[in-house]
Amino acid sequence: MSLIDLMSMAKPNIETRDKILARLSGKELVNCFQCIKCTSGCTALKLLELKPHEIIKLVNLGFVDELPSSDIIWTCVTCLKCVQRCPQKASPYHVIIALRNLAVEKEAKVPEGYLKAVSQILETGQVETYQKIVTRKMETVDRECLKLPKINPPKQSFQAVFMKAMEEKKA
Amino acid sequence: MKTAVFWGCCILTSQYAYEMSLRQVLPKFDIDLVDLRESTCCGDPIKSVNDFTANYLAARALSLANLTGLEDLLVPCNRCHFTISEAKKTIQDNVDIRQKIVGLLKEEGLEYNSNIKIWHTIDLLHDYVGLEKIRKAVTKPLKGLKVASHIGCQIIRYSDLGRVDDAENPKKLDELICALGAEVVDYSEKLDCCGAALTRSHPDSALSLAGSKLKAIQNLPANGLVVSCPDCQLMFDAKQRDAGTTVGAKLNVPVVYYTQLLGLALGIEEKKLGLDLNQSPVDQLLNKISV
Amino acid sequence: MARVGVYVCHCGLNIAGVVDVEKVAEYAKTLPGVVVTKHYTYMCSEPGQRMIQDDIKAKKLDRIVIATCSPRMHEETFRRAVAEAGLNPYLTEIVNLREQVSWAHIHEPGKATEKAKALVRMGVARARLLEPLEKHRVSVEKSVLVVGGGIAGIQASLDLANAGFPVYLVEKAPSIGGRMAQLDKTFPTLDCSACILTPKMVEVTKHPNITMLTNAEVTDVKGFVGNYEASILKKPRYVDEKRCVGCELCTKVCPVKVPDKFNENLAETRAISIYSAHAAPKIATINPDHCLRLKHDKGVCGKCQEACEAKAINFEQQPETIQVKVGGVVLAVGSEVFNALEMAELGYGRFKNVVSNIEFERISDASGPTGGKILSPKDGKTPRTIAFIQCVGSRDKRFHEYCCRVGCMVTLKQAILAREKVHENVRIYVCYIDMRAFGKGYDEFYRRARDMDIDFVAGLPSEIHATSDGSLYFDVYDKGTNKLLQIHADLVVLGTGLVPNKNLADVSALFHASRSADGFLLEAHPKLKPLESAMAGVFLAGACQGPKDIPDTVAQASGAAAKAMDLLSQGEIELEPLKAIVDEDLCSGCKICAPICPFLAIEMKTDIVDGKERPRAEVIEAVCQGCGLCSSTCPTGAIKIQQYSNKQVMTQVEAALAETCAEGGK
Repeated sequence: MSLIDLMSMAKPNIETRDKILARLSGKELVNCFQCIKCTSGCTALKLLELKPHEIIKLVNLGFVDELPSSDIIWTCVTCLKCVQRCPQKASPYHVIIALRNLAVEKEAKVPEGYLKAVSQILETGQVETYQKIVTRKMETVDRECLKLPKINPPKQSFQAVFMKAMEEKKA
Repeated sequence: MKTAVFWGCCILTSQYAYEMSLRQVLPKFDIDLVDLRESTCCGDPIKSVNDFTANYLAARALSLANLTGLEDLLVPCNRCHFTISEAKKTIQDNVDIRQKIVGLLKEEGLEYNSNIKIWHTIDLLHDYVGLEKIRKAVTKPLKGLKVASHIGCQIIRYSDLGRVDDAENPKKLDELICALGAEVVDYSEKLDCCGAALTRSHPDSALSLAGSKLKAIQNLPANGLVVSCPDCQLMFDAKQRDAGTTVGAKLNVPVVYYTQLLGLALGIEEKKLGLDLNQSPVDQLLNKISV
Repeated sequence: MARVGVYVCHCGLNIAGVVDVEKVAEYAKTLPGVVVTKHYTYMCSEPGQRMIQDDIKAKKLDRIVIATCSPRMHEETFRRAVAEAGLNPYLTEIVNLREQVSWAHIHEPGKATEKAKALVRMGVARARLLEPLEKHRVSVEKSVLVVGGGIAGIQASLDLANAGFPVYLVEKAPSIGGRMAQLDKTFPTLDCSACILTPKMVEVTKHPNITMLTNAEVTDVKGFVGNYEASILKKPRYVDEKRCVGCELCTKVCPVKVPDKFNENLAETRAISIYSAHAAPKIATINPDHCLRLKHDKGVCGKCQEACEAKAINFEQQPETIQVKVGGVVLAVGSEVFNALEMAELGYGRFKNVVSNIEFERISDASGPTGGKILSPKDGKTPRTIAFIQCVGSRDKRFHEYCCRVGCMVTLKQAILAREKVHENVRIYVCYIDMRAFGKGYDEFYRRARDMDIDFVAGLPSEIHATSDGSLYFDVYDKGTNKLLQIHADLVVLGTGLVPNKNLADVSALFHASRSADGFLLEAHPKLKPLESAMAGVFLAGACQGPKDIPDTVAQASGAAAKAMDLLSQGEIELEPLKAIVDEDLCSGCKICAPICPFLAIEMKTDIVDGKERPRAEVIEAVCQGCGLCSSTCPTGAIKIQQYSNKQVMTQVEAALAETCAEGGK
């Protein structure tokens, strides 16, 4: 045993870390030298305490067992500022997406909203349902009365293929 | 020019005003919209669940566009535009993913076409149509109107992917607004995020982000806010009251789509542009124009 | 029949750790012509060389093959050793078993050994066909061209001139002094930059061995090491250098305001002005892009001419081209500062109170736009909070990946100066990733800054904003306290890095001095030859070879000068004979080779044969670099490169493809 976190007694999981690295399109995550620019500019920091630099460091050191079950990875707003400005192209956003995918695979805590999106796509192909809107003039309208063209749901074949895609085994 | 159009989920199911205004203004510039055979999600919310499936869904959108035989695809939603653009690049760079996705599409008899150019409302109007043409087409210049603009996050970042406008100094939406005779007000929160993506997991925080930005805009010498993404519009317009509650402010900011403003400047009727559907107090802004 | 000796070097464990050197030596014994084979730990050492020399004498060897490291390391060494033993040094063949075998195939020792055997077989086959060659001597010009008049160029010029070498110092600005002249104080001593620089500048102007050409640029370079011919364009100043006394009356009366380049455009000067406060030469120069008389017809303005008591103004002055012959060149063209407009999120260009470090330097300098007072550009008031932000444009894959080397020390210096000048009425914050204070006295200087109530925030901001009243603020997360801090500053100084000059590609092409991946000029060897380019006779000094501070610049400049002296002091140099040579009988005069040569080393000569004109190619031996392009292009095979004839190369190829000693086989 070469490394241990004395506060939580957690040990690095190099295998899982390398799995995450393999899923990212580049390996630049390991180039992070903790300039902290990502956290300084993070939209989710003030409200939800997301610290992208910390997530990157935890992954780099291999502390990836806790992360997928934590709430913090779901706080990212996907504003992409960290991807844009990182001087080493470590792209915390992409790392967070990979951790979210891992959370789903491990069946850890995943916010309802995302699981709902999956079932809705299965059902209708879309993630929203057609709504009636009340205008400022207190009229209730929908697509039909606004004379907007009807858009078709996906053909039957879609469901099965979508499920197949979802089952695609990750390395 | 004929272009296929991928509306995404939000516009089709609730943000009707964006669709209405786009369908009204584009023909004035000889752009015909061709709808896709069917609509499925672009994959954006699925990214967090299964990245591969998200890419597949985005590729499906492109293959549906391919069915129209056209090589241009207009994607008016920022998030869909980013998701489809990133998927296109991933498929281009990763042979393994490409093969798998092409295989899946084949099962539905769909074919992937990597040559499809992805447009957003902003670059279609700014780069393809051009400011000159727009200026010439304006019959009711919006003189005296001062607005703040919100271009959003996912069509300006990240630059390496090739986006619609510059990430630190985006000017296209502002120039499009000025082409209508209106003025644009600069402000330091200009590049801040509307928070839409947080709605699925932290709805209150999402509203708080929108609320903070609206609060700042309220203090500007501006008659309203102009956006060009249905998600941003949802946050700033439809959810304005709730956003105000989360930041402890009474918000009173008119929020409109650029295409609605464009329509007004082209002399198109308010109702046809879906201006009744805006939930924020846009009448304030509309009065400024007619005065 | 050739008598070949094969010597296999262990190179410590560098080769022997991967390649079975004993087996290779054993194998060599079986090759045709090989009389003796030996292996030894360090062939390049004294006993190693002695071994070869003794064998040459005792065994009457006439070809030597040494299987060792890259010829770029020790080929000269071995040639010298062989020559000392009485054998022509060009009968030596180096086989590279290190860079091409042991280092490249570190995980496959078995295959590496087989490859080593194959390479030795090729080397022996080639060695048997080597021909004895002689070095030729050419005489050299004992003078040097120094391009660039900053501290690097100044130091190199003085060293050369003091040693008796005539120097042509060319500077494109109207005055020498370069970047150092723009500095207020220098780290870590806080020496006044002008005070230590100007005496050297004066020395240069007065030195009998230095011809100082300011407002001038090198436009063309011909020739070869020891015999360069350079064309220098003296751009017109429109002021007679011999008459101008530097009184500056002309500047006072000139109506045209012009951004002041020396002051980084923070102030204005006039269309006619003296370049800087301590200019050398102290002569006025007219800017032809702004001068009314020069841009329009005669009769317009001319106020300076009226005012000049020395009658020095001459609107008709023409550019002048000077040709000089020199033996060597020292490139000292310096570097530029990163343009922070490229990092739009930091607000440079948008907000007046965001300045670069070189702009801050001018603000701090007593000869600068504020008379040395630290004032915010927007309102001219003393800032109450100053924030320094490091690594702008450096260590960044989006702009320049390298560390600019001086940024940390510059900021520490400027923070200390700010504290000294504004005293306790200012809060000073430095936002950084790492603090690089590596040199002599540098970390002590860092401690000095911490002693002076300068706060260090471990983290960089992502973007800078301004409030509606124009005051600046930014968020920065501090690693030390784990707090998200918001800093409100009246002055933000960006630690902009040093970058290659925009025109460095032209300089590179002009002098055939290539550039490295980071864009700076490339040294011949990063460890052992930092003072010269790969082009013989072209030496490098200062920031043009890579960002560096003044001590390193001065050291490199003196070193480059010494190298130039080394090259030229004997009055003649030896040339490697591995050049192209034309067989006149085979040359058909087709002229295909001459334009192909990238060094312009082939001349077409015309002979009269039987009353008819007969063109033929002739190689200028001293310029030829032996690249081989002409040889492969020549349709008749008339040009060959010495030691690289078709036969010599093909023999090696055949040897390579011959049956190898496969596992277990012989």
